[in-house]
Amino acid sequence: MAKHSSGKQLTNAVLIPVLAIISGLLVASLFLLVSGSSPLRAYQELFKAGFSCSRLTNCNLFQTLQLATPLILTGLSAVMAFRSGMFSLGQEGQFLIGATIAAWLGYAIHLPPVLHPIVIMAAAMLGAGLYGWFPGVLKTRLGINEVITTIVLNNIANLFMTYAVNFPMRADQGTTAHSPLIDDAAVLPAFVQGSKMGIGLVIAFVAAGLVYIYLWRTIPGYEQRMAGQVPLFARFSGIRNEGAALRGVALSGAIAGLAGAIEILGVHHRLLQGFSTGLGWDGVMVAILGQVHPVGVAIVAVFFAGMRLGAQIGLQAALQVPRELGGGLIALMILFVAVQNLYRGWIEGGREWFQKRVRRGDPVQK
Amino acid sequence: MDSTMILDLMRSGIRLTTPILLAALGAALCNRAGILNFALEGKMLLGAFLGILSAYWLHSSPLGAFVAMLSGALLGSLFAFLYIRYKVDLIVLAIALNMFVLEMTVFFLRSFFGNVGTWSDPSINQLPDLEIPLIHSIPVVGQLLSGHNMIVYLSWLATICLYVLLFHTRFGRHLRAVGENPAAAEAVGINVARIQLIVLMLSGALAALGGAFLSIGHLTLFTRNMSNNRGFIGFSAALFGLNNPVGVFFASLLFGTADALAVRLQNVTDIPPSLIQFLPNVLTIVALVLIALRMRGKELVARMRFRSRIRKQLAEEQAQRGEEFA
Repeated sequence: MAKHSSGKQLTNAVLIPVLAIISGLLVASLFLLVSGSSPLRAYQELFKAGFSCSRLTNCNLFQTLQLATPLILTGLSAVMAFRSGMFSLGQEGQFLIGATIAAWLGYAIHLPPVLHPIVIMAAAMLGAGLYGWFPGVLKTRLGINEVITTIVLNNIANLFMTYAVNFPMRADQGTTAHSPLIDDAAVLPAFVQGSKMGIGLVIAFVAAGLVYIYLWRTIPGYEQRMAGQVPLFARFSGIRNEGAALRGVALSGAIAGLAGAIEILGVHHRLLQGFSTGLGWDGVMVAILGQVHPVGVAIVAVFFAGMRLGAQIGLQAALQVPRELGGGLIALMILFVAVQNLYRGWIEGGREWFQKRVRRGDPVQK
Repeated sequence: MDSTMILDLMRSGIRLTTPILLAALGAALCNRAGILNFALEGKMLLGAFLGILSAYWLHSSPLGAFVAMLSGALLGSLFAFLYIRYKVDLIVLAIALNMFVLEMTVFFLRSFFGNVGTWSDPSINQLPDLEIPLIHSIPVVGQLLSGHNMIVYLSWLATICLYVLLFHTRFGRHLRAVGENPAAAEAVGINVARIQLIVLMLSGALAALGGAFLSIGHLTLFTRNMSNNRGFIGFSAALFGLNNPVGVFFASLLFGTADALAVRLQNVTDIPPSLIQFLPNVLTIVALVLIALRMRGKELVARMRFRSRIRKQLAEEQAQRGEEFA
């Protein structure tokens, strides 16, 4: 990373999220005080419950990693789109499309064990990729704002999923609509008994590595980043900006679709009414706090998942503090990233002071 | 289906339209001023929450609706401050705010009222239904249009007011100029910041009023995620209505009636309700494409005219030069 971003950018990329996390924790502790609980104890419980591992069969960390899997992938999807200059917020819709395709192919076709999940994931990626490509075409050909179309397409995907799970794919007349269980051959195996953390997590981390290599170490990826960052420069250097942006959103859709497929194949094994509420938005937030970088996304996704789980087990079960505080904390951190212009000047000033103080002796070192 | 059922359906359609319409008017106003306001969802939910809480504390539901509007306007002005003074990214801010409101309303309910996400109190009065004197006595129309609560009528009034404001006042002209090209507007002396502030405050107040309709107008309770995507549906309705308040009114009516129809049909027929709700969303995309195509077409025509004019000029010049030469 140090190779292509100067030290200044790197410190900013680390400092801003860290400051946002600290400020988020501070502000949330006010809410905790108002509701009559001790912030220190609450945070202690939160992080203990989110990231601890007492026994192999009952390990919170495993569950955190399982929860982090779709977050990593939807976060990567957001990175892929944002870096290509498309502010696509369609992760939610693409995730649902991928999940619906996966659940359908899970019971509709029958294939041998290893092949089945691979075929399903490929199909989900293709379907969701097309779903991501469509607003891209509308943007590049007709100039329709992709932020708007992806939001409307999220509504449509949500309605489509509700329709699919209630009508053509409905298994029985249970209270919650759900589709039939997928074949055993299609299930992505878990590593440890009693936990659903499995192959999906490995795929997510590999995907993070691949996204990094693709965007920063290959020519098509470079074209996408230049088209997103400096469109005019890209045009003058002979890059086809429209093509690069389209590639970006299609790949972004495919990654979000993969997240949906893994969630079905590895965790739920069937489509459930309302099984994903806002996972896509979480992905956007992960990308924002992770500084739109695969490494940041992987770290932040695990962090968010731990906070969600910690809020559920540590806060609600142990301290009777409502678990919504976990989500509130995440939202506060994003708020502080959003308003970074307020304290950015302050960071710059601090660094200058620091550099003057520390490096007064040798002006050569930069 | 007999006539009472249809009437019933239309009345419930009007009720379901109201929150969507209020959010959509706010969205249309922002779109006209060139601001993407995704925070309507969160402002709506906050309006629902504060509306019912203040109705409970102040023992008056109209006051509750007023407090909700005030909170929406305040939040809007905060957004405007951050946007104008610090160039904060409004979309990121909105995503964070939506999530913050969604989680923290439940957090406060659980902390202070100790329950599982749905709250109500018998002392809270629903907003009273108003009978409109003259219209009330007309047979069918009266049953349809009279006897709604004040927020419904306020939303209709807001539609008309915003139409006049946008298209028949100096302020509206300036507002649209800012939306089309802020730099040009600034250059001719329009106070861009002031317009953005007013637009964000107004749209916040409208969305929050829509939220208050949900919690103290339509029902008298608050539940987790009560706005349930209506802020974004309103956004779609604004686009479908071409950001023109009158168009937005009918677009919202379509979305609202589709919701009402979906609920009704579930009991009567086998038609999947989500397919009916599908329709307005798909129409929104179609509308967006058509608008873009029209713009593209206009551009092409303009370019062709320009080209032919230039060609003519060149030809004339050449002819002149030829004459001089000869």
